[in-house]
Amino acid sequence: MRRANRIMTVIIFIFLYIPMVVLIVASFNTGKDVTEFSGFTLKQYVRLFQDRSLLKLLANSLIISVLASFIATVFGTVAALGIHNLNPKMRKVAMTLTDIPMTNPDIVTGVSLSLLFVFVGTKMLGQRNSLTFWTLLIAHITFNLPYVILNVMPKLKQMDASLVDAAMDLGCTRVQAFFKVTVHEIMPGVVSGAIMAFTMSLDDFVISYFVTGPSFITLPVEIYSYTKKPIQPKIYAMFTLLFLIIFVLMTAMNLMQLVSDRKKAVSHIGH
Amino acid sequence: MSKELIRLRDLTMEFDGERILDGINLYINDHEFLTLLGPSGCGKTTTLRIIGGFLTPTSGTVTFDGQTINDVPPYKRQINTVFQRYALFPHLDVYDNIAFGLRVAKVPKDEVDSRVREMLEIVSLKGYENRRVDSLSGGQQQRVAIARALVNRPKVLLLDEPLGALDLRLRKDMQNELKRIQQAMGITFIYVTHDQEEALSMSDTVVVMDKGRIQQIGRPEDIYNEPKNAFVADFIGESNILDGVMLEDYRVRFFGRVFECVDKGFAPNEPVDVVIRPEDIDIVPKDQGHLVGTVTGVTFKGLNYDIIVEFKGFKWLIQTTDYHGIGTTIGIRLNPEDIHIMHKSEYSGMFGDYSSYSAEYDELTEDADGEEE
Repeated sequence: MRRANRIMTVIIFIFLYIPMVVLIVASFNTGKDVTEFSGFTLKQYVRLFQDRSLLKLLANSLIISVLASFIATVFGTVAALGIHNLNPKMRKVAMTLTDIPMTNPDIVTGVSLSLLFVFVGTKMLGQRNSLTFWTLLIAHITFNLPYVILNVMPKLKQMDASLVDAAMDLGCTRVQAFFKVTVHEIMPGVVSGAIMAFTMSLDDFVISYFVTGPSFITLPVEIYSYTKKPIQPKIYAMFTLLFLIIFVLMTAMNLMQLVSDRKKAVSHIGH
Repeated sequence: MSKELIRLRDLTMEFDGERILDGINLYINDHEFLTLLGPSGCGKTTTLRIIGGFLTPTSGTVTFDGQTINDVPPYKRQINTVFQRYALFPHLDVYDNIAFGLRVAKVPKDEVDSRVREMLEIVSLKGYENRRVDSLSGGQQQRVAIARALVNRPKVLLLDEPLGALDLRLRKDMQNELKRIQQAMGITFIYVTHDQEEALSMSDTVVVMDKGRIQQIGRPEDIYNEPKNAFVADFIGESNILDGVMLEDYRVRFFGRVFECVDKGFAPNEPVDVVIRPEDIDIVPKDQGHLVGTVTGVTFKGLNYDIIVEFKGFKWLIQTTDYHGIGTTIGIRLNPEDIHIMHKSEYSGMFGDYSSYSAEYDELTEDADGEEE
């Protein structure tokens, strides 16, 4: 039984990771045919870094992801604090309301945001091109917020509420108490929220597709249009790099969690 | 003794329409060790939090040194607190925890250092400066919490059940330690506990609370010897409480017999509660007793036996060093000073009957003392 479980686990991991392996192998392939590995080369990576328009798109994606996840992290943390201080009934309502956008299909979110932006932009502000960098940024912040709140809330709940009292007792104002004590306690949640928001932003296609105009295109939006013509191998190289970035981020996040858990475990043994 | 420092006037507190405090009037002197004692939910922690500035009373005033401080936030009060579970900052080491308040107050660096080291010495934690607080034992964390509060040289230290999480032996040591620190520093301690023994052994003044009201204020001896009502008599130590009638000064009738006592000032024939402490009762051969009863239960307690004796259907708890087996008939004698008379109160008839006595009554009361709020 145990052996069967182990085999099953291995199979699942193969299924999960084989597409990435295929992609990575393809990115080092000298030949154009994915089905045949004709030799190892770094040529695709060289080409990638020579393609200014492709790098521009990557830069756009990174700018949006970094900005949106940073702003969402600040707002989301503040929102989580506010929700945490509500009475239990209102807290439940607020959490349900923040959870719904997360489960809402992206296409619905994308279309409704697009309608809103067009309405506000053309009808109220009188602009011709209402879908720009700014609408894209607002959209990304919007769909990132719930992930930050979801990650910060448990840390606030775990925190001993009397820590804030203690800080105020020792001379801190409410704001000082937040920066000197609360921030340290909820930091793991804030960081994991930020990383999750960043990855969500980086690979978002559906919502971005509806809320941005030709003036500011992100990588996923552009690549989608490639699928109608053959994908150039340098794209494989870029995907490989993106995968590695995400892989490193997620591993770092999990390691951090592990270290902090171990610290706690050690202190419990100490008691 | 010394001058008044804090006064609470007609304090009430309501949460969601529920009355937690109901007309608290209390003054606290400088240098006093005052204990708020009561079961969970009695309002003692709420009172402490109002004094600390963490709660604003629904009505009534709090004055400190003559100034009303109802709306003064905690960080502007010359009061520091030792919290129930210490509330040490996990991201700081022992030194930085203790230095926290001084650094917020922007005290010069050398002074911070000398004061932190002085406090480490007072709480016997020299050499622990760079230890993580979560690597310390409960007793050590307790000391850090005390040092962190006292280093700010407050006029008043509030302690919210500070010994609740420690084991019995450590608790006894810390009781002595706290009393020593309070005397050495010469400041006011306001101490919250549900442990009557702790309250009696440490305090100058004990305030017994229940249902958001003060039941009795007094020196530990007075609270024990002269409880004001059945609640206090039962909460502080063990008590047999009986219905009686005060015939006239110094004469009370209960169990169909008239006893001499030392109380006076009651109306003629006033119905009263009679308190008899289990340790005050003398056991005598049955032909010499004022009352004769049958032993129905015996529990060995180490120092003594707790025996349950039935007198005319009413069961008493008696503490004795001699063994009396179940079924033995014994006599008891009551001296006038063993009988304490109280006015009837809302608590009459609720306490002091050992008919449903079980040997685990100690543990049961311990369990019932959960967290407040």
